[in-house]
Amino acid sequence: MAAVLVVDDDPFIRQLIVSTLEDTARDRPAEAGDGIEALEAVEREQPQIVFMDLNMPRMGGLEATRRMREAPKPQPTIVMLTAFAGDENARAAEEAGADLFLTKPFSPLELLNLVDDLNPK
Amino acid sequence: MGKTLFESEQGDKARIDLDRVRTLQSDLETERAEARERERQMERYASDLSETFRAERRRSDELRASYVATVRALTNAVEARDAYTGKHAERVAAYGLELARRLAPALAAEPQTEFGFLLHDIGKVAIPDGILHKAGDLTPEEEALMRRHPVIGAEIVSHVEFLADAELIVRHHHERFDGGGYPDGLAGSEIPLAARIFAVADALDAMTTDRPYRPGAAFSEARREIAAGAGHQFDPEVVAVLDRISDTEFDRLRGTVG
Repeated sequence: MAAVLVVDDDPFIRQLIVSTLEDTARDRPAEAGDGIEALEAVEREQPQIVFMDLNMPRMGGLEATRRMREAPKPQPTIVMLTAFAGDENARAAEEAGADLFLTKPFSPLELLNLVDDLNPK
Repeated sequence: MGKTLFESEQGDKARIDLDRVRTLQSDLETERAEARERERQMERYASDLSETFRAERRRSDELRASYVATVRALTNAVEARDAYTGKHAERVAAYGLELARRLAPALAAEPQTEFGFLLHDIGKVAIPDGILHKAGDLTPEEEALMRRHPVIGAEIVSHVEFLADAELIVRHHHERFDGGGYPDGLAGSEIPLAARIFAVADALDAMTTDRPYRPGAAFSEARREIAAGAGHQFDPEVVAVLDRISDTEFDRLRGTVG
């Protein structure tokens, strides 16, 4: 399965996503607590999928997404975690370069299906 | 007249306190919002989990039903060749499960026990009609072939994963408690409990079923004969349990099979 990076300032949510994906993942997903950590982790881990929270201290998900998209190398699929799909945050996320949305609270089954769909068969 | 230095200090202190209260309040609200978010997230997990359990249960029910249907189809196919036995396997399974429920409830709850009871004679598919339906005595060669049906049957079911435990019943359903049975001549507790239970249930049905050459015996008579075989053909513990089940109960079980 693809390498995954989970970016959220709430360690509880991070842990939840990591635990949910753990059984299906070959490697335990990497974690980052804000946008700056996320940029470092993307360099280091070269993930194929990034789950990105919107509001975080230091650097939020929109800014982190924009900066990731500036890099020339193979780009990860960025899944933005938003409160509502189709609201103005979601539009901003799309403009920043996010590929997909997962609304919070997210369904663990949807999360697993989404990762399954993104996995190269 | 302006404020005294003292009054001004008091005012600054009050403003600072108010700012601190506002900050604390805002922190508290943020924390509450985060807690609500976590709570909603946990509720979402709980609801997905219960949906998953429901789906899993449906699937396992469907799987169970398809196992049972497969075993019934095989049982009917085996019995179709033998006009006399009719629903013998179903009756033996009903009697055997009732004995098992009182002797070893966990064994009775295991689907493979019923499957083994139902399929005990599956090895007879390999016995030619001329031998299976022969009116007179079998020659020693024919007898030897006939006695291979438990081994053949065990071989057949051993290739089916969901029948792996039923294999023991199929293989050992002609063993005798005193070691005089076949194919392995096992004695006492060497014989799997389910096969010892089967022996009693099988004899009970054989004795109480009508045959072309004789009417079926009453349950009371069959009990006496089986009791006489306790320790020889049958496990005394199983025979003791047989005595705790009434004729009425056996009649009811026979009725459920039809």
